[in-house]
Amino acid sequence: MRSGLAAALAALLVAAAGCSLSGEEAETSIRLVVPDKNVRAEGVECAGARPFEHVHPGAPFTIEAGDGTVVADGELPVGHAENAEPEIDWGVDRIPTFCVLDFEVALPERPRYRLLLEGSRPLEFAVGKEPVVLVVG
Amino acid sequence: MRRARPRHDAQRLEGARLSEGGGVAAALTLGLVLLLVACGGGGDNAVAGGADDLPGAVPAGVRYAKPAAATLRAPPFSAELLDGTPITASKLWSDRPLVLVFTASWCRRCAELHRDVAAALDEHGDAIGLLGVVPEDDAQAARDYADELDLGYPIAVAPERVWLDYAAREPPVVVLISRGGKVLRGWPGGVAREELARRLDELVERS
Repeated sequence: MRSGLAAALAALLVAAAGCSLSGEEAETSIRLVVPDKNVRAEGVECAGARPFEHVHPGAPFTIEAGDGTVVADGELPVGHAENAEPEIDWGVDRIPTFCVLDFEVALPERPRYRLLLEGSRPLEFAVGKEPVVLVVG
Repeated sequence: MRRARPRHDAQRLEGARLSEGGGVAAALTLGLVLLLVACGGGGDNAVAGGADDLPGAVPAGVRYAKPAAATLRAPPFSAELLDGTPITASKLWSDRPLVLVFTASWCRRCAELHRDVAAALDEHGDAIGLLGVVPEDDAQAARDYADELDLGYPIAVAPERVWLDYAAREPPVVVLISRGGKVLRGWPGGVAREELARRLDELVERS
């Protein structure tokens, strides 16, 4: 009798946990923006310019949930240069740009996440409107 | 001298196998080969991007155009090549112009640039020096990279200060330095082969 009750309670707890924290993972689009304002031709492949040189293709990253559990990891892809000041017509090919790294990562449903990249402060985010835009600071 | 890179001795030995019938003879042969390798008789163990890739003497009959008087002096620096050989930049530019290529193993655009720069310099042989520069945290990966690309020129592992002194914020950056150490031109983001070749042609005079 007692063991039956315990099993029912356990099942209830598991079901309740499932309502708020699904074990299923969803692909999430992330745009990692490096505000380096380096002079490049728009669209060329790039990495973070100094002092953001740690943001480059192959650099390892980790994503933690709010409780510190590692929920994803990987390596950064190559970035592409995007116009840092689109309101200005510079009249030349090489202009101030940001390096933007677009990638997808599978994340389990959690309220908050933290992207960790060696050399940067942790970047906190929640998944809502995609892509999630994170600015390296 | 720039040259094709020989295969490493370990790779040469990959095919050595002991046959069932001739085990003793094969073991003796293998032992002899290993002894020869250990004594330096087994060939070239050169590390790509190391001292063996430094240029030889300046070819006879080569002269260089003088830079404008107001040209800035190149920041001097010392570093180690990928094989640990210490180098001093001022020695490299003391008798010939030097092209610096700031690069990194993870820089995808750099691979093509390396080929372009090497092709532009090939016409001039050892009349122009070439030195790749990688960041300190990239040394190990750069060894594999240099081997894989078979670059055929020395690569220095340079501290952060060198990158800052040359305003090399992001690889690739190419810098052309005159004989004697004046900065003639810098190309953040790289340079087209034709442009570099034209600059070098202007610089080198042959009699």
